[in-house]
Amino acid sequence: MRISTSTIYDLNVASMDLQQNNLLQTQLHVSSGKRVMTPSDDPVAAAMAVSVNQSISSNTQNISNQNAASAALGLSDSTLQSVTNLLQSVQTTALNAANTAALTNSDRQSLATALQGDLSQLLGLANSTDGTGNYIYAGAQGSVKPFTQSAGGVTYNGDDTQQLSQVATGRQLATNDSGANIFMRIKNGNGSFATSAAATNTGSGVISQGSLVSPPPSTLQAGNTYTIAFTVTAGVTTYSITGTDATGAALPTVAQPGALPTNVAYTSGQAISFNGIQFNVQGAPANGDTFTVQPSTNVSVFQTITNLISALNTPVVPGDSAAAAQLSQQVGAAISGLNNAVNNVLTVRASVGSRLSEISALQTSSNSLSTVYQQQLSQLTDLDMTKALSSLAQQQTGLQAALQSFQKVSGLSLFNYL
Amino acid sequence: MADIFGIGVSALNTAQYGLLTTEHNIANASTPGYSRQQAVQSTNIPQLTGAGFIGQGVNVSTVKRIFNDFLNTQLLQQQAQSSMLNSYYSQIQQINNIIADPVAGIQPSIQSFFGAVNAVASAPASTPARQAMLSSAQTLTSRFQSLNQMLTDMNTSISGQLSTSVSTINSLAQQIAGLNHSISIVTAGTNQPPNDLMDQRDQLVSQLNQQIQTTVIKQSDGTYSVFIGNGQGLVIGDQASTLQTVASQTDPTKVDIAYTNPGGGYTRIQQSSLQGGSLGGLLNFRDQTLSQTQNTLGQLAIGLASTFNQQNQLGQDLSGAMGGSLFSVGSPVVSSNTANTGTAVVSATISSATALTGSDYRLAYDGSKYTLTRLTDNQVTTSATLPLTVDGINITTSATPNAGDSFLIRPTVNGAGTISVTMADPSKIAAAVPVRSLAALANTGSGTITAPSVNGPPPANANLQDTVTITFNNPATTFNVVDTTTATTLASNVAYTAGQSITYNGWTTQISGTPATNDVFTVSANTNGTSDGNNALLMAGLQTKMTLSNGTVSYEGLYGQLVSQVGTKTNELQVTSQAQTNMVTQTSQAQQAVSGVNLDEEAANLIRYQQAYQAASKAIQIASTLFDSVLSISK
Repeated sequence: MRISTSTIYDLNVASMDLQQNNLLQTQLHVSSGKRVMTPSDDPVAAAMAVSVNQSISSNTQNISNQNAASAALGLSDSTLQSVTNLLQSVQTTALNAANTAALTNSDRQSLATALQGDLSQLLGLANSTDGTGNYIYAGAQGSVKPFTQSAGGVTYNGDDTQQLSQVATGRQLATNDSGANIFMRIKNGNGSFATSAAATNTGSGVISQGSLVSPPPSTLQAGNTYTIAFTVTAGVTTYSITGTDATGAALPTVAQPGALPTNVAYTSGQAISFNGIQFNVQGAPANGDTFTVQPSTNVSVFQTITNLISALNTPVVPGDSAAAAQLSQQVGAAISGLNNAVNNVLTVRASVGSRLSEISALQTSSNSLSTVYQQQLSQLTDLDMTKALSSLAQQQTGLQAALQSFQKVSGLSLFNYL
Repeated sequence: MADIFGIGVSALNTAQYGLLTTEHNIANASTPGYSRQQAVQSTNIPQLTGAGFIGQGVNVSTVKRIFNDFLNTQLLQQQAQSSMLNSYYSQIQQINNIIADPVAGIQPSIQSFFGAVNAVASAPASTPARQAMLSSAQTLTSRFQSLNQMLTDMNTSISGQLSTSVSTINSLAQQIAGLNHSISIVTAGTNQPPNDLMDQRDQLVSQLNQQIQTTVIKQSDGTYSVFIGNGQGLVIGDQASTLQTVASQTDPTKVDIAYTNPGGGYTRIQQSSLQGGSLGGLLNFRDQTLSQTQNTLGQLAIGLASTFNQQNQLGQDLSGAMGGSLFSVGSPVVSSNTANTGTAVVSATISSATALTGSDYRLAYDGSKYTLTRLTDNQVTTSATLPLTVDGINITTSATPNAGDSFLIRPTVNGAGTISVTMADPSKIAAAVPVRSLAALANTGSGTITAPSVNGPPPANANLQDTVTITFNNPATTFNVVDTTTATTLASNVAYTAGQSITYNGWTTQISGTPATNDVFTVSANTNGTSDGNNALLMAGLQTKMTLSNGTVSYEGLYGQLVSQVGTKTNELQVTSQAQTNMVTQTSQAQQAVSGVNLDEEAANLIRYQQAYQAASKAIQIASTLFDSVLSISK
């Protein structure tokens, strides 16, 4: 085949252009360390890199959310630790106060003064703020002081809103707890029902906190209120029980299933049990003394402590068995209320703790995920340096050969021999 | 004797012609488009004598160029294709380089924006966090705008390049027509081929094909007829037509290519018929890649802005008011065809940003019904009347158009250019949920109520923030719902099922557990809810939510599709344009093998003709010697 002279030059120039271009491209890839510099280098990898980048970004976001949530929950946890310690010290004081026989009125007053200090401290803890001055137990109303004290007792001004945080894909976690759930929503009595003695009682009878027994009360029975009335006739003490349901209608007392006991002979400390509830009365109730059993209601821990303080501040004339019984009754109710409060705080703390440990587990998995994503991205877009450098050397050799051979070929001409 | 001189002289002349032709070849060895020439020798008519035919020497019958029509046509086609691919490739490369750029691309700014939204969700009361969210929203919108501006600039630049290309075509057509004229005259007058003129003309045709693909027919008088598109004549004989660029009938931002009519005015050429050459490449890029990229970017901008605005409108800002819009959202562009005879003005609005497709639409009226064609896949919707809602756009008209009128509707083309941040006050970010729920402290049952969520889409219910009580009856198996703000009983004796959704006044909540008789749950305005970032959390969740294209793709997903579309097309063009360039090289090599000058060959020819010349001279010298010896006889 004929070769035209200009073809020899054209082809050589084109080949050198191509080799130079390839060399430059390889050099750019090597200097950036990226295999995919623009989407056209590998459209599939580029599109996948967009979604991997997205995963990296949300994972990073999750990690920063986890850190923020962990800080908030950690603060709450240590505050609740202080609350628990404080309540346990209040419990000790209450147990001391229960020893009614050994204490004088002034002993009780000094206990009451100590309790007053504890109450203020508890209020301070309940009104804790975070680093930015927002109240941590106020729900959504971070700028509103959640617990305020007035003549009527402590009121809660916050709400039940829980702030959620996206700590992992598809997992949102509450970073705060409502103050009402920690300090206000505490059932009195034994958690199901509460017993009390009428203020007008003249005997020394004290009713226990009681408990549920088998069979447990049905939901219809749960709302019932019972009155235990004592009668002393000729030195014989008997009691009768009447009851009303949630709407105030009287419960049957005549003999029929579920009927309430009437005119039962009383023995101090003997268990009284009906409709799945059980309690006892100790001491000597006077004629006309009454005790009440009601469904539990929410009593705040502040109210419980305030009640205890006012009971301890009420002087008892030595030998006044009725007043001693009242005191004993109230201290007993306070101890039971404090137990419930401590249990409630511990329950919230357990929930905070489990969230903290979940976050800690998520932090580990997010960190390893971030490594996985980075690896994935690197596999998609990063350059295999060894391969690239070897092809760089190869292209270099190719270009050199093209330059040298061009010089040889272009030197050949018949005119040189004429 | 005289014949001896005659033959010698004819040989001398012929060798001279040979030398001249060879020197011409050597001189034009690197002239573009030059075909090597050859002096064609033939013997003179012999003289009949008694001894038979005596040769009368040699003459040059013609000088011909070595040229292969078939190879040349093939080369023209391939060059047209190659320059189309190259011009498409060099345009799309600009988008390809920027679209996934870690600094200039959209993706990094979407990510930093949602990072800022998450920061607000974590610290809703923090003004610095809110300010940072507004700033990163600004960054995001300016990224959209600058990318869109680049695409708009490319469109403007393409109009300029098209007009340059058209004037090049016009000038080439003029020159071809001029050469046609000269060639036809010379050929008719001398009956010899004007080789150099023909080379020049072929070279011009080759240049023309790099601008636009043509079909060339050789006429019997030696002239070329050059056609473009679907057989429209550009050059016929010595007459050249003129092209011009005119504003597009359907889209004022584009130009069309049209014929200039000799009597004034112009006739549009069907744009899709103009293929090949750099002009074809520009048109293809503009109508396929450029507008699709701009539309998809707009779809993303409109989708992001609308879904985000909607979520903000369902929230409550720092001052306790319901949220407003964060972004301004672009609106569709409708252009009437300039050929419309009616005065109807068609307008389009976005009814659902999440149903948009990123396609353009053509609305045509035939006198009885409207036909809406989605231009990406030609799916047709017909309707006898307007308004019409298709793919999230609502189309209305001011009057009934005349039959034959048509309109171009571009729903998302302006989306990326017009997105901006309208919120200036960081406290207006609606991070909180506007309602909250509360179980009364006096409740004796174990019932709990979840945080209420606001039902979309906005606007939120007018009574949303009213205080509503849910009170359980005796027995606690039913409840009553009362709006205490307006003192309206919303519902009575609703059967209670634990965990079931309870929806009133535009919110939804659930109660679970066992509520007791007279237990009260309240849903009320989230007054002072400055530490509530739960609506911001919902906004942050939009980042990965499948919201766009009818809930099939997330923001990043749509952007990933765009990246992959542009990347795939660029990659394809890179490969095909390289392959086409190689084919042009191959064919050009074959064509040069026939027509190109080889200097070694010419050097040999020089020697060949030199020797012929020397031999002829010798023959004349011998004839002279012979003559001298005859003369010497008479002495």
